[in-house]
Amino acid sequence: MSASATPDARASAVAARRQNWRRAAYRFQQSWLSIVGLAIVVLLFVAAVAGPSLVPYPADIAGGINTATRFEAPSIAHLFGTNELGQDVFTLVIAGARISLLSGVAVVVLGALAGTIVGALAGYYGGWTDEILMRIADLKLTLPSLILAMAVAAALGAGLVNTIIAIALTWWPGYARLVRGEVIAKKEELFVQVAQALGAGTGRILRRHILPNIVSPIIVKMSLDMGFAILTVASLGFIGIGVKPPTPEWGSLLSIARNYMPDYWWTAMFPGLAIFLAVFGFNLLGDGLRDVLDPRARR
Amino acid sequence: MLRFAVRRIVLLVPVIVGLSLLIFAIARLLPGDPVTLAAGPNATQAEIADLAREFGLDQPLPVQYWHYATGLVTGDWGQSIFTRRPVLEDLKAYLPATLELVVVAMVLAIVIGIPAGLLAAVYRDRWPDYVSRVVSLGAISMPRFFLGLLLQLGLAMWLGWLPLGGRFPLTEDPPPFVTGFLTIDSLWAGDPHAFGVALAYLALPAFATCLSPLATITRMMRATTLEVLQQDYVLTERALGLSQRLIIFKYVLKNAMSSTLTVIGLYFGWLLGGTVLVETVFDWPGIGLYATKAIVTQDFMPVMGVTLTIGVLFVAVNLVVDLLYGLLNPKVRYE
Amino acid sequence: MFNLTRRQSLTGATALVASAAMGGRAAHAQAKRILVIASNQDIPNFDPHIATGYSASMLLRNTYDSLVRTEGTPPKPVPQLAASWTASADGTEYVFKLDPAARFHDGTPVTAEAVRYSFNRLLRLNKGNAWMVAGIVDENSVQPVDAATVKIRLVKPFAAFLQVLPWLWIVNPKAVDANKGSDDGQTYLRSTIAGSGAWRVRRAEAGNLYEFERVEGGWQQGGGNLTGAIWKIVRETSTQRLMVGRGEAHIAVDLTSEDMDALKGRPGVVSIIEPEYRTFSIKMNTRHGPLADINLRRAVSWAFNYQAMLDAAGYAQLMTGPLPDGILGFDPTLAVPRMNLDKAKEFLAKSDYAKGGIKLVMNYVSGLDQQRRWGLVLLDSLRKLGIELDIKPMIWPDMVASARSPETCPDFFPVYQTANYGDPDNIAFAAYHSSRNGGWQNPVYSSPKVDDLIIRARSETDEAKRKELYVAFQKAVVEDAPDIFGVLEKRKLAMRSDVQNFHFTPVASNAIELFPLSLK
Repeated sequence: MSASATPDARASAVAARRQNWRRAAYRFQQSWLSIVGLAIVVLLFVAAVAGPSLVPYPADIAGGINTATRFEAPSIAHLFGTNELGQDVFTLVIAGARISLLSGVAVVVLGALAGTIVGALAGYYGGWTDEILMRIADLKLTLPSLILAMAVAAALGAGLVNTIIAIALTWWPGYARLVRGEVIAKKEELFVQVAQALGAGTGRILRRHILPNIVSPIIVKMSLDMGFAILTVASLGFIGIGVKPPTPEWGSLLSIARNYMPDYWWTAMFPGLAIFLAVFGFNLLGDGLRDVLDPRARR
Repeated sequence: MLRFAVRRIVLLVPVIVGLSLLIFAIARLLPGDPVTLAAGPNATQAEIADLAREFGLDQPLPVQYWHYATGLVTGDWGQSIFTRRPVLEDLKAYLPATLELVVVAMVLAIVIGIPAGLLAAVYRDRWPDYVSRVVSLGAISMPRFFLGLLLQLGLAMWLGWLPLGGRFPLTEDPPPFVTGFLTIDSLWAGDPHAFGVALAYLALPAFATCLSPLATITRMMRATTLEVLQQDYVLTERALGLSQRLIIFKYVLKNAMSSTLTVIGLYFGWLLGGTVLVETVFDWPGIGLYATKAIVTQDFMPVMGVTLTIGVLFVAVNLVVDLLYGLLNPKVRYE
Repeated sequence: MFNLTRRQSLTGATALVASAAMGGRAAHAQAKRILVIASNQDIPNFDPHIATGYSASMLLRNTYDSLVRTEGTPPKPVPQLAASWTASADGTEYVFKLDPAARFHDGTPVTAEAVRYSFNRLLRLNKGNAWMVAGIVDENSVQPVDAATVKIRLVKPFAAFLQVLPWLWIVNPKAVDANKGSDDGQTYLRSTIAGSGAWRVRRAEAGNLYEFERVEGGWQQGGGNLTGAIWKIVRETSTQRLMVGRGEAHIAVDLTSEDMDALKGRPGVVSIIEPEYRTFSIKMNTRHGPLADINLRRAVSWAFNYQAMLDAAGYAQLMTGPLPDGILGFDPTLAVPRMNLDKAKEFLAKSDYAKGGIKLVMNYVSGLDQQRRWGLVLLDSLRKLGIELDIKPMIWPDMVASARSPETCPDFFPVYQTANYGDPDNIAFAAYHSSRNGGWQNPVYSSPKVDDLIIRARSETDEAKRKELYVAFQKAVVEDAPDIFGVLEKRKLAMRSDVQNFHFTPVASNAIELFPLSLK
């Protein structure tokens, strides 16, 4: 809020915002697909947070093996069967939720952070800064991001952190474009002009006045991107450029299990389904959130 | 229009220069020492230095870029440090396979996506709409490599209807090279048997590839059709008793064209780079598989070649799409 | 097609596709008799004096000839270019009589001069298989007596000389000289064959397939009825297995134990599971880091879960010390560590790391699933000593680079050693002699005592004395605990039953020799 706002105006703004939220929540509830998405996502978060203490064979997560029970088909003792080292596939899949969510969130947050900074600078300063930053972003968007991420990840070496960095490096241009557009639009609005006239510095204006007002499209994009971030992490794992063993990452579990198809199909089926479910959940949720928070995009 | 086209084509030059610069920068910023790797297990320091000299890697970066850029123009795209084969030659060999896969997938997506989107719009908020929305979100969410494995498992391993992978039977010679698209080349050669075989090999990878653009095209068709159906003039015409079918054909067709174009522009480059996964699953001998192999061995000339090719193709296709937009919809103003 | 109903055209299309995919190919292949081999290794270089790896060996042994071939179990040298040979009593001089019919692909006869030319090129380049005769043969060793007789004087006796000859190929000097360039013909031979073998390369698609065809009017007599062969690169072993199951490939060479189980009892498929001199062990960094402490190495050796390793390996047997079972001089009575936690903890207490609490690093070749499994077995075993393990997948060239010095070498370095010749010297020298330090076969281990035993055994001509030396060698190595001695994996090949006249040999049996094979 700008410095000149009266307490009254502030109160009514808060009330209006609250009402917006209520309306949004109502719209969200109207769409059962979004609810399904939310349910899946909540389930994932539960698995990610509490998973390791819920699973039947927690030792397997850190690489515990039991070669006496290799390749057992799904049963009561092993809901999703066991793999080539006798590890419980159910345990690994549940434990994988934490890895996937964590890396998905990290990729999206890093990408959004970098993109926001670039986009805000470009949009605010305009001119040459804008020109250069945006041309780089445009060029980046024309390059095949998966191949680039693979190349960077391979050069950095295996490991979850390296994978995340590699993907985040290809992730920022979308945010930069989005933020730049919003910043240019907001820059012209009255409250920013006023703040500028009152002598607020660039950093302060961006941080206090512009960015808070463009958070919702960023959040919408982040939630829409979560699914794809998870998918990309899994893709790298599947190609074999990803985490180190014994990290139970879904994509790499699938890539290993590929060799045991069709006879030991369960080792591949469940990690694959987990990836699908996670991406699907976030996409449903993101779709719902977009309808709610960004009504302009509603169709 | 013509002036616009010429201007856009001229503007491609700085874009391509920028692309090559960006790719070069990324390749050089990466850690890893490809020369030592390529020199092999028993190489001495002197041999490593020789190899670095041979590939020009001992020179300052601007000089290296200059060599790279002039090479790009004169048809020398460098060579693989491992196989010592010229990158351009490899690209020529592998690109047609990927292009064929992507084009067929795009055609599939358009042929299925447009009617599906139309149906969803016409039956808005009824079951065809729900089914198409859930299915298209599901399709976007489906990891292509997992879908590929499932298709392989079902149709190739269990039922045995289609080949597991590859592009053409090993023991047969492919039709003589004309376009590099085996489907077209086999027809050109008047060989229906080879055509059938090529299709059988294409079926599963193309299906696995087409899902994302299919879902997008369906959703776009639905949205634009809904928009059209709510326009005043449509409502008026409907009030005047024009049948809905006629209205749809009259107005929606154009929208179909433009959403198709948009999707092609959006997805073409993305698919070229994204076929990596499908190519890995189906052992499809395209540039994705080629790039993967190079990436794994940190052989960066092929990786640069593939990235640049995809970047340039992406830019070029988008240019064509933009021009077609103009033809399709003269109201679009050219800046 | 347009007049058909939709259903009709659909069935029609399916039928077309099915017949095209299945029937057509079989009929076609029969007329031409092309053997398809599925392998996951590419053939990046055709140069007989540079290329290594079993895929290159396959290409080279079919397109080039060597003085002798190897055949049978145990492998015996049999004539190839050399129709006969004699050796002096002290084992330092061999005289080979060349087959007068032998011709290179361009029609030039294979002469003693070509043999000299090839050996000297191999030594000059000092790559590829040059190590097999390093210090044994020098540039003056090969002396043509006349066009069809060649004498090779060894610098010192080498018991396994005839065993390594199959891997030293003879090139056509005329062809190489004409394309010598500035690099001794390396550019030329990288993608061209200048040999005398029964086969030539018809089609080479890097990373995808290599097609061979029988050389018309080749000098070799007899052989099988194949008209061609395809070395198809198939990365996934499961895909290799399915291809053999479906008849799309005739031989698969990289199958896992699970694949073999899945193929069991499948009609039309023959499984070959045979012992081979191919050792797997996990080398420890004896020179740098915690494992330089011999007591820690012993603790690790006693803590390792060998049974789990064997379970995860499938068709394999545990190794007893550094040498493979059944090879000359192998000592079956050797006492080697087996999992015994009490003993492991005893040694741990004697080491500088009595409380554990350290983190060790193991690298492995990314994509080699068997190595990943054993890495996890090691991780699980070390946890019982309170030691953590960081398992890093790496590409093979990076692994090789890390072996260069004790400082860059990881704590654990897993290695397969495939014997090229059925002699203990192959493994003893390559994997334990200190002159190999810095290479992947023996990154760091060095012991003057072991070196001495290896060198003496190498040039000892009396078999009984040689055996004694190898027994002493095995004991000395086990004493030092430089490796976790792993498993001897069985060679696992699957073959269509219509492939005929295949005879297994326990050396490089995955580098299939095409000449004798037939297709029914």
